[in-house]
Amino acid sequence: MTGKKRLVFVFASVAALWLIFGGAAFAHDADFEKMGIVKPRTVKSAPEFDLKDLEGNPVSLKDFKGKPILLNFWATWCEACKEELPSMQRLYEHLKPMGIEIVAISIDRSNKDRIKQYVKEYGLTFPILWDPKQTARRGYFIMGLPTSYLVDSEGKLQGFVSGARAWDSPASKDVMESLAGGMGQETQKFAGARGGRIK
Amino acid sequence: MKLFKRFFTFFFAILSLGVFLPSLAVAYIGLCCAHCGGNMPLNIPGGGIPETHEFRFKLNQKFMQMGPLRDGTDDVDRTSILGAPPAGKFAAVPDEMRMYMTMFGGAYSFTDDFALMVMGMYMQNDMDMAFNGVLVGATGTNGFTMSSSGFGDTQILGKYRLYSNDTFAPTRQVSLLAGLSLPSGSITKKFSNNPAAGQNGTILPYRMQLGSGTVDPVVGLTYQGSKDPWWYGLNAIYEGHWYDNDQGYHQGQELRTDLYVMRQVHSKVVLESQLNFKYEGQYSDQPYNQRVLGQGHFQGNPANGFLSPLNDPDNYGGEKLSATFGAQFQPFPLQVLELQASLPIYQNLNGPQLRDDFTIMAAWYIEIPTKKSKRFVGTKAPKELGF
Repeated sequence: MTGKKRLVFVFASVAALWLIFGGAAFAHDADFEKMGIVKPRTVKSAPEFDLKDLEGNPVSLKDFKGKPILLNFWATWCEACKEELPSMQRLYEHLKPMGIEIVAISIDRSNKDRIKQYVKEYGLTFPILWDPKQTARRGYFIMGLPTSYLVDSEGKLQGFVSGARAWDSPASKDVMESLAGGMGQETQKFAGARGGRIK
Repeated sequence: MKLFKRFFTFFFAILSLGVFLPSLAVAYIGLCCAHCGGNMPLNIPGGGIPETHEFRFKLNQKFMQMGPLRDGTDDVDRTSILGAPPAGKFAAVPDEMRMYMTMFGGAYSFTDDFALMVMGMYMQNDMDMAFNGVLVGATGTNGFTMSSSGFGDTQILGKYRLYSNDTFAPTRQVSLLAGLSLPSGSITKKFSNNPAAGQNGTILPYRMQLGSGTVDPVVGLTYQGSKDPWWYGLNAIYEGHWYDNDQGYHQGQELRTDLYVMRQVHSKVVLESQLNFKYEGQYSDQPYNQRVLGQGHFQGNPANGFLSPLNDPDNYGGEKLSATFGAQFQPFPLQVLELQASLPIYQNLNGPQLRDDFTIMAAWYIEIPTKKSKRFVGTKAPKELGF
């Protein structure tokens, strides 16, 4: 291969890689933007918490080590939370086989029975924790409900979401899948449309 | 019957307004804020504080029925004080009063801790008067209904949160209320339909006037607490009347205390009960038209006795304790409808004057987020966590 040909080959390879992975990155960013997810300026560890689930079993953030998490804060008195929890359950059913977790922390100060009733009514199967003393809520600086954080498998905060979302949307699924280290299906479609070959 | 028709016509009018206005809440992005208005009865001053950078508007229709007469803690039969003024009795005595008040208010929260409220009102007062024998003979009627209507005083009130045990969802907080009551209500309303000769054009008694005629300071303290599913609180507010109005008198000092307990029985329904105490002092003096021109006095002479107990500044004020029961309902996000009824428990009045009989109220509240509201833009991602 002559020097000129080699240069063309390298240039073409770089361009192809840019189209595949750069395009995918743009799609990834577009999904974050579409979901209204704020990315961190400095990646920091998610604050630890030690809470109990509705059966009284102790649960801490460490228990989810190695798994990406959608960490959601909610309350039974929050109407907006009601809007998003069913879509979160659908997302969980989609993500569970991929090893991605959803953890929802109720900040109700009392009345655990009401939370249980709520969980039953909405058929929620992902872990529900209870923070009656507001310790986790304060640690995560929650100033409105619902609020969610994206935590990667290393326990680092990768996103902040204020307000209710349609969590079962393609963009949301892509965001969560990308959190697990892969590219979401929608991203793959995007990259594929640009000529990439992704298995 | 007419009263209930009127009241419920108004209530259903505001209800239908609420039904057609959910589009106003388009800014609602599905973010719940613990500040929301419906956590305090809407009739209590300072109740219904909007979320930060949001407006709220409140429309409140109130109907109050008063009567019979009371002096101290005992009811007074009007026939016992109806007679000849030279004999210490009165030519005309009130029998019953109906007050219709439409209150409209706006508020804006500038910060998490400070909100400014403005409230105005339109009122109509109807008071049934009974005549003594002389006036019955002279007019050919047993009495008449005295009326006045128009805008009342306007209140501008700031609410500043002094203490809160939590930044997001406090369970205990104390706020300072401070503001002014501005004299937009008339103090020179006059008789227009009095069948007694020479009375039309003379000044109506105090309670038929629509305002105080003075710029009055308003200061109060509010404690709000909650323990799921209960909300409770205590509100104490003082309205001072420190100088004389253009008619040369001022109202008595006012102190109002409200104790409330609310219980959430459904995600959209809250029941409430209140104990409301009000102290009001007597009027300082007679209005100029009475004191100097002799209006409201027998034979138009200020040295003579009063034609009615309503003309005597000493027959006003006293202590009142009442109980209020009601319910708040949230038909749509950012809107609250409230229905309330009040009944007196104890009244010790400087009399004879009409005592409270009952009050019913209906209110509609809507919160309108601006583009700066966290409901519109969401909450800020915390910089402490790297955002």
